[in-house]
Amino acid sequence: MNNKASFLEFIGGRYVEILELALQHIQITGIAVGFAILIGVPLGIMITRYRNTSNLVLGIANVFQTVPSLALFGLVIPFLGVGLTPSVFVLFLYALLPIIKNTYIGISNIDPSTIEAGKGMGMTGYQILTQVEVPLALPVIMGGIRISTVINIGTATIASLIGAGGLGDLIFKGISMYNNNLILAGAIPTALLALSMDAILGFVEMMLEPKGRRKMKKTFV
Amino acid sequence: MIELKSVTKSYSEAAKVVDRLDLKVYEGEFVILIGESGCGKTTTMKMLNRLVEPTEGQIIIDGQDIMKMDPIQLRRRIGYVIQKVGLFPHMTVGENIEVIPKLMKWDKEKRKARTMELLDMVGLPGETYYDRYPDEMSGGQQQRIGVARALATNPDIILMDEPFSALDPMTREQLQDELLKLQDELHKTIIFVTHDMDEALKLGDKIAVMKDGKILQYDTPERILKKPKDAYVEFFVGKDRLWKSPEMVYAKDIMRKNVARTSMTRTVSHALELMKKRGVNTLAVVEKQSDQPQEVLGFITRKELAKAMNEDMKIKDIMNKDVPVISEDMNMVDVLDYLAQNKLQHVYVVDEEKKLSGIVSESSIVNLITEMITDYEESKEEKKHEQ
Ligand SMILES: Nc1ncnc2c1ncn2[C@@H]1O[C@H](COP(=O)(O)OP(=O)(O)OP(=O)(O)O)[C@@H](O)[C@H]1O
Ligand SMILES: [Mg+2]
Repeated sequence: MNNKASFLEFIGGRYVEILELALQHIQITGIAVGFAILIGVPLGIMITRYRNTSNLVLGIANVFQTVPSLALFGLVIPFLGVGLTPSVFVLFLYALLPIIKNTYIGISNIDPSTIEAGKGMGMTGYQILTQVEVPLALPVIMGGIRISTVINIGTATIASLIGAGGLGDLIFKGISMYNNNLILAGAIPTALLALSMDAILGFVEMMLEPKGRRKMKKTFV
Repeated sequence: MIELKSVTKSYSEAAKVVDRLDLKVYEGEFVILIGESGCGKTTTMKMLNRLVEPTEGQIIIDGQDIMKMDPIQLRRRIGYVIQKVGLFPHMTVGENIEVIPKLMKWDKEKRKARTMELLDMVGLPGETYYDRYPDEMSGGQQQRIGVARALATNPDIILMDEPFSALDPMTREQLQDELLKLQDELHKTIIFVTHDMDEALKLGDKIAVMKDGKILQYDTPERILKKPKDAYVEFFVGKDRLWKSPEMVYAKDIMRKNVARTSMTRTVSHALELMKKRGVNTLAVVEKQSDQPQEVLGFITRKELAKAMNEDMKIKDIMNKDVPVISEDMNMVDVLDYLAQNKLQHVYVVDEEKKLSGIVSESSIVNLITEMITDYEESKEEKKHEQ
């Protein structure tokens, strides 16, 4: 009880700092995921068009994902130094795979007869992409964005090691000072952030489900 | 008119999927492509809207080489209906039908009015279905929407690739009937792929029987049935098919041609003798004996002869002038109906110029049926032996 009370007091005292760091955290992740969407979605679409490139692209994106994050942060320092840029860059690489993969899967899984019908009635490739493929794949793409975001909120704490700031600052400061309150003041908001983003983006994902499909799914539940 | 000139499609050096195929389809014709799986029906059809590009040869539509046309514009002039329908699940029925009209920048009112008209045409009231989603409809209803969508911009040509083969038999029949009705009103040029001979016979003005990328026979359903060009076509049509399609058998197929006849001025005794000689019960009466085509003016049976006062009376005085005649192209079902309804034992068949060409009697129909049954039994026997 005593411990808890003092933790709440601790938070109360540093509440402005925590909020600032949380905002910074959101910013880093947001920029990284934003870039990952800008690059990942078109890449995902491209590999549905040139199927033989899909293994290569997905393979490379997979490599970034399997290298331990700490190592990856270390690896970019010689090239990009420390600070915001290398951090965002690494997070961007992490975010890429789920987005490319889900875009690819979302579009590949569309019933080929749907595409054939569109083509046969005289839609251009671009019209089919924008009016049929992307709308139908959107919930799956959104799923990829959600996974990337949640992973990145966690990974971004490590980015503080190379000077990105964010909630990781509190955690690492806490570790070096043997201060559990400080660690928790970083870890708990990070977890809350991840959970709430997961919920919000999950809701968006559901709303993106085409209306005709949504109703049908409900009846199957 | 659609004209395929020596069109070939191959995906590899070795095999030609479509092999120097020639085909002419005139405006307003309903043409069926039929053949076993893999014979190149779909490929042939897809070359017409350039979903597949021919390796060699030329395809001309209304005088224009389609390879010189913009494929998008070409496809918008040609309706396309496929077996799996391919409706867009994220769009309502209305939005699905209006995809191309919208891309062609029709205004909203015009689009909706057209869609309502089309929904009506395919038997789905617009008020109920306009805002529905495809996943909320049965397979048959979805395919109706597929047909409506293909008609959206009122194209002259419609391509249909096994549009009804995924439906249950009842729904299939219903959609076939409706398609025929629609075609009666719209007179589109329709190319229709199927592997169901019953469907082909029911729908087609002409049928192209395909094998290994070639057309073996391109003919009317009737001629395909009655004059199959070779053993394969015959096998494909099935020997018992005619038997199953009595509406394809016409008066001229079942009539006896050598009609016993006498002329107006002959006598009763002559008529009696002729009947005995020919072994018939009835004689057609014509103006005078000749080999030229003649009009039938009356007929006599033993009943009329019995009524005659004496043997020297002239035929023209005792003949029955109320001659039952039918045209050569009345089908067997209607002929049987006609005989039954008018309580007749026989009826005369006349050609387009109303000249006597034959006679159909109950016995000639019995003969035909016997013949068919014998054929059928024989073909069953053959099949047994082959196994
Ligand atoms: N893209 C392709 N690449 C290679 N071969 C193909 C291709 N498309 C079709 N074929 C081959 O061409 C042949 C004819 O195919 P097609 O689809 O025209 O047949 P079909 O008569 O429509 O058959 P089904 O009744 O099964 O639909 C088949 O042997 C098929 O394997
Ligand atoms: Mg086919």
